[in-house]
Amino acid sequence: MIKLVNNKVNKALALVLGASLFAAGCATAPDPADEAAVSSYEEANDPLEPMNRYFFELNRFADIILLRPAAEIYDGVLPRQAKQGVRHFLDNLRAPVILANDMLQGEWNRAGTTATRFGINTTVGVLGLDDPATDYGYARHGEDFGQTLAVYGVNEGPYLFLPVLGPAPPRDLTGVVVDQFFDPLTYIFWDDGYTVPVTRFVLNGVDLRARNLEVLDEIERTSVDYYATIRSLYRQSRAEEIANGQTNVEDLPDISNINFE
Amino acid sequence: MTTFSEAMPSLTRRAASLLVFAALAAGLVIASLSPSSANPAEEAKDYVQKLADETISILSKDGQTPSEREAAFRELFTENLDIPRVAGFALGQYARLPSPEEKKEYLQLIEEFIVKVYANRLSAYTDQTFHVNGSVEKGSKGKEVIVESKIEFASGREPVPVDWWLLRQDGGGFKVFDVKVLGVWMAQEQRDTFISVIRNNGGKFEALLKHLRAQIGQAEKEIQEKLTGEAQPQPGDAQTEEGIPASE
Repeated sequence: MIKLVNNKVNKALALVLGASLFAAGCATAPDPADEAAVSSYEEANDPLEPMNRYFFELNRFADIILLRPAAEIYDGVLPRQAKQGVRHFLDNLRAPVILANDMLQGEWNRAGTTATRFGINTTVGVLGLDDPATDYGYARHGEDFGQTLAVYGVNEGPYLFLPVLGPAPPRDLTGVVVDQFFDPLTYIFWDDGYTVPVTRFVLNGVDLRARNLEVLDEIERTSVDYYATIRSLYRQSRAEEIANGQTNVEDLPDISNINFE
Repeated sequence: MTTFSEAMPSLTRRAASLLVFAALAAGLVIASLSPSSANPAEEAKDYVQKLADETISILSKDGQTPSEREAAFRELFTENLDIPRVAGFALGQYARLPSPEEKKEYLQLIEEFIVKVYANRLSAYTDQTFHVNGSVEKGSKGKEVIVESKIEFASGREPVPVDWWLLRQDGGGFKVFDVKVLGVWMAQEQRDTFISVIRNNGGKFEALLKHLRAQIGQAEKEIQEKLTGEAQPQPGDAQTEEGIPASE
């Protein structure tokens, strides 16, 4: 069953990939004789790098002229409690999607936590504006269909960076699309144009950016290649989310034979 | 307790005390024979706790100039971090690319880079408490261990999980190979970016050196700007009176 799903998903991923490959038209395959170049090309797993870098710069431009100023205003104007209220409200709206993926992964305890949180925060927490559930011992965790696919054994696939959306390798891009179907808001506001989903998407983006103003500056300032750093950070934090924060020692690289004096 | 020892025949009591003595003596002998392998897991955890304490004491020391703080971090890092191994790991398949001179400069630059970058990133952590949670052995040779810890904040900010990848040294003690903060291994991040720089510059090692020099120069400049900003308060005050933030 899972294998069948896997097959279909892989086919879908191949389609997405094929389309974007066609769009890019160019990949930068290294000289096959250069062993180090070939292996580092494979390690980066980013065949569409020129296109991705182009979109990355596009997003950075949009960030400078639009997102960052908006986030700075948001951060500066709203009092801390209001910002927290917004965050909690958005988090609570996300609960059904997290619950669906908890269950799809067979994580029943975590599913229970998510359901309990939703119950408490929607009522005691006044429609999710506050987060009393965390104080009661039900701390929040995230989950999405990209992670569910990973648990089923689907690989991330080659790196992909899209305008507006940012890092979205095929598996996670598929996850974003599928998660829309788990979201009650999709059905509630089906006929209502895009106002609610778009507002939510924008607010989520601004809030996220506002909470990372200094962190992102610091990362940009201290990296020799900002694009590659973000790629590394994205992949590593996704792996961490998929493992639910557990460090699996076996997944770490072998460093016992490095001799570089 | 008294009733128990009173009821106890004196012969048995003597035998018991003999046994206790024997056990103590044996324990002493074992302890003196192998002082370092008493409890390897505890040792690793103690080492991390000590390292964190030292870091926090550098961060919270008042009246330090930035260059004093940097010197303190440099000492801490060079003593406790396996920099050559990080340097080799960060090059991946390009580890054999640099010439001996390039290698020498690279090792100097990466030390400088790590000191500047991490001293800076660490400054973000204030009013924290540090907890060591546990440790996991890595590999079958007993050389590597991962220690898990958590930084908690008084401000109610979400705790930051930190993993420490330690290497047991042949002469006893440890060195740090890598640190994972919020799910990101630092050496892995450096590897991904260093390899990318070399590959995107036609496999030229000099390109990486150039980028590293530029980054270090930039960090240096920022520290100097901070220094001159602190050393001359008058112009800064005058600026704020005119409504221009002193930091601009």
